[in-house]
Amino acid sequence: MRFTPASPAPPVPRAGTGQLADRSLVPPCQAACPLYQDIREYVDLVAQGRILEALRVIRSGNPFPSICAYVCSHPCEDQCRRAQVDNAVAIRALKRFAVEFGGDRLVQTEAETIHSERVAIVGSGPAGMACAYYLRKLGYPVTIFEAHPEVGGMLRGGVPQYRLPRAVLDAEVERLTRMGVEIRTNTRVVSLDLLFQLGYRAIFVTVGAQQSRRLGVPGEDLPGVVDAITFLREVNLGLKPSLGDRVVVIGGGNVAMDAARTALRLGSREVHVVCLEKREEMPGSAEDVEAAVEEGVALNCGWGPGAISGDSHVTGVQCIRCVSVFDADGRFSPTYDESTTTHLSCDTLITAIGQVPQVPEDFRLRTGRGSTIQVDPVTLATNRPGVFAGGDAVSGPATAVRALAQGRLAAHRIDDYLQHRYPKPRDPGPRLEGDLEPRTVEVIRRTGRMEPPVLAPEARRKGFEPVEAVYDWEAAVSEARRCLRCGMGAEILFQDKCAACLTCLRVCPYHVPRLDEAGNVRIPPEQCQACGVCVGECPARAIALRKPHDRRQVDEELEHALNAAAEAKVRPLILGFCCQYGLFGTHSLAGVWRRARAGVWIVPVLCAAKVEAEHLLKAFELGGEAVFVAGCGEQCARENTDLWLRQRVERVRKTLAQVGVEPGRLQAFVLAGGAENLAVELDRFVERVGGLYLAEVMRREAGR
Amino acid sequence: MIIAEQKPLDEMARMLAPYSRVLIVGCGTCMTVCGAGGEREVSYLHHALRVARARAGGEPRIFLEHTLKRQCDLEFLDLLKDRVAEVDAVLSLGCGVGVQAIAEHFPDLPVLPGVNTSFVGMADEWGVWDERCAACGDCRLADTGGICPITRCTKGMLNGPCAGTKNGKCEASPEMDCGWVLIYRRLETLNQLEKMRRYYPPRNFRTIPRPRRITSRAGGPGETDGPQPA
Ligand SMILES: Cc1cc2nc3c(=O)[nH]c(=O)nc-3n(C[C@H](O)[C@H](O)[C@H](O)COP(=O)(O)OP(=O)(O)OC[C@H]3O[C@@H](n4cnc5c(N)ncnc54)[C@H](O)[C@@H]3O)c2cc1C
Ligand code: SF4
Repeated sequence: MRFTPASPAPPVPRAGTGQLADRSLVPPCQAACPLYQDIREYVDLVAQGRILEALRVIRSGNPFPSICAYVCSHPCEDQCRRAQVDNAVAIRALKRFAVEFGGDRLVQTEAETIHSERVAIVGSGPAGMACAYYLRKLGYPVTIFEAHPEVGGMLRGGVPQYRLPRAVLDAEVERLTRMGVEIRTNTRVVSLDLLFQLGYRAIFVTVGAQQSRRLGVPGEDLPGVVDAITFLREVNLGLKPSLGDRVVVIGGGNVAMDAARTALRLGSREVHVVCLEKREEMPGSAEDVEAAVEEGVALNCGWGPGAISGDSHVTGVQCIRCVSVFDADGRFSPTYDESTTTHLSCDTLITAIGQVPQVPEDFRLRTGRGSTIQVDPVTLATNRPGVFAGGDAVSGPATAVRALAQGRLAAHRIDDYLQHRYPKPRDPGPRLEGDLEPRTVEVIRRTGRMEPPVLAPEARRKGFEPVEAVYDWEAAVSEARRCLRCGMGAEILFQDKCAACLTCLRVCPYHVPRLDEAGNVRIPPEQCQACGVCVGECPARAIALRKPHDRRQVDEELEHALNAAAEAKVRPLILGFCCQYGLFGTHSLAGVWRRARAGVWIVPVLCAAKVEAEHLLKAFELGGEAVFVAGCGEQCARENTDLWLRQRVERVRKTLAQVGVEPGRLQAFVLAGGAENLAVELDRFVERVGGLYLAEVMRREAGR
Repeated sequence: MIIAEQKPLDEMARMLAPYSRVLIVGCGTCMTVCGAGGEREVSYLHHALRVARARAGGEPRIFLEHTLKRQCDLEFLDLLKDRVAEVDAVLSLGCGVGVQAIAEHFPDLPVLPGVNTSFVGMADEWGVWDERCAACGDCRLADTGGICPITRCTKGMLNGPCAGTKNGKCEASPEMDCGWVLIYRRLETLNQLEKMRRYYPPRNFRTIPRPRRITSRAGGPGETDGPQPA
């Protein structure tokens, strides 16, 4: 018995019919990601326990997610609005969980050659690797030229192994080769003309910023003074330079932290970091600096290096008090108090005050400040036709994710160039802007950020074991549920239907909807928590969630369940609307799942509050002999959802009674006091329904 | 605003029994606001009637749904023209005015009321409605501190309170505020307690001629000096 409308009236797109376009706003995390990853989406999928799909979303916007999962500088987390409630969502750690539990290692990437134009990439760092990946996907033959014997640029030679296990990098390189990328190591490119002569039609220059800056103080060339890039490279290639007991690292950035922590791991007893900045101004990320301190690195903040002492080998360094680092305009311009000095003695001195690109003269590329290559920011084209550039060589030392993004951009612009197309600017759509109001923040449940487990500091110093472990399932899901789903919230989609009844103002647990000056109802998107309560209550059905998959799913899933049930022919037909988060994410509703195998048909929904009274009736109408809704109750990430669930169930029960259906055939199950209780209650319900069904059959038989 | 309540389903089912094709019409104004007959209720009722039908067995009935911005203006009802051509009856979730407007506009079409139109009132909180005005046609709120004695006093007394008031509550129900105590308190706040001393002569509601009509334009209908609709 299916509803077929009598007249072929054109379907009116109305809330809840799934004909709605995605109108969600770009959340701040995504806007901050150079790769523009759909973070909100994959975090939500993790929360639902749909890890494979989460990985698919990640992979669709990131060529090497496993790399980012370990080392990404996560600019997304800096913008996360959850920090306005408690702390940012641990996005990078969640990505790590998704790639490991989702089996990123096993993903096969295919590529077919459909173009004849060959492209050369100079440098095999993340920018070059990403460009090669996407050019292969676009169908071009690609060759990477790498000066060093190993592939990966700074990820191979710079980043220490305790932060990025080399097996992860190797797997990505392997994948590139399998996609058909030709990689020529030990091949330093000295002239681009030569590449053009070899038949390459376009060139992407990504030589990185690998040349350490010099301190410019006396004694810098003494034996025992080494720059961080050279030092880390040696260690990363398996050498064990002997540093002596005392090491001083000059610099306060991430590279300095890596150098200091590496020195500790090589057995140096005392490692000092000397930097101009005050502790809170240090350019290194707070995480890295803290990890270094935990491991025993001593920070000497507010000091600048003076002369390096020693005759045949370094013995120490003079340090001068740094009064201020930046001038009034925020430019780097340190001033010193020459009268306050100190001396640090050491056996090795490592400099880590930044790197600059080293672009061969013969490339004839125009360079600008800090020897970086000048490009058109939209096309990445250099002054030479057919030559594009990106990564650290263009930006100066930056981050892996930026390099990946530039590699991807270059691939598309090179494609445009080779196909004589005008580059199409991407329109990412409107962004979500604005902070949470205190009155919204007040209602949001506090659930502090959960960090993934790390090795104890003493254990870390013993070698190059990865410091950070991956979340377990439970931790990942709880962390993912903290996402506020910014920009997905409710909107009055059908303004013409809104009767300004103020129902939304009255039902919203977060006090979001309000009247504007003109007396119109507004739902400020930057406050809405996308709980969906108003959507299910609006009497005019004028409100919809901006991301409609949340709602469409209920109807579609109901249909799925009914089809499956029809095939199985098991009676009585019991339909259970069940929260997807609780079912597959937290597993707290797992009792429902166990019953499911015994003849209950599950309709997974994204929160029980999205099940509307009409859905419940529809389940009966389409043949359900009993229906229940199971929600996470106190475990729900949103407010009051169980209240609305009960309210709607109560209403439908009254209606059922009026049409002669036992109200007991509909029940709400809300998690309270553990999953065990729920399973018992559910068993009772199923038993009772079975009894009702049997009685009915007997009555019918008797009546014949 | 007009407040109504949906009729019990069994009553509706009985009314609908003779018809096999029914158009359920919602109203986008008062009935949406009071939750008795907006688009959501139309759809809910539709599903409920189908469940009822499935339960009772017999021929499936065909229902169509449509919600108008307002049922109490004939121009809006024109929008139903094609739809009513396909049905045997209309179930209106509009107030009594809407039902009658449909009846007037479609003379051959049976129209059934889906709600009990109850009073003129306002929301107390989500889903709770209170009567406020009896539409008596002779407003005395200026004398009673803006509180209507006809609707707020159980007995509708014009000169209260009566002896049945106790601790500010009405003798009819200890939960109900005594309307006249409310009036007294409010007049006290307004410094107008002298208004309590006045006597208001009883009103004879039987003298109100029905149906009432109000003409707001200059010159009554049929007279020529006012603006005439095209
Ligand atoms: C110690 C250290 C730690 C870091 N940690 C992080 C981190 O945790 N997170 C993060 O996001 N970023 C980190 N970075 C920064 C990140 O590694 C770089 O931003 C990124 O690698 C830049 O990529 P790229 O492809 O532009 O250049 P690179 O990675 O520098 O690669 C350039 C490649 O070009 C090759 N090359 C140069 N000249 C030639 C030539 N003439 N011919 C052929 N090949 C040539 C080089 O050998 C090199 O392999 C770190 C950097 C360092 C140094
Ligand atoms: S009820 Fe929920 S979905 Fe609606 S405005 Fe409030 S927070 Fe947003």
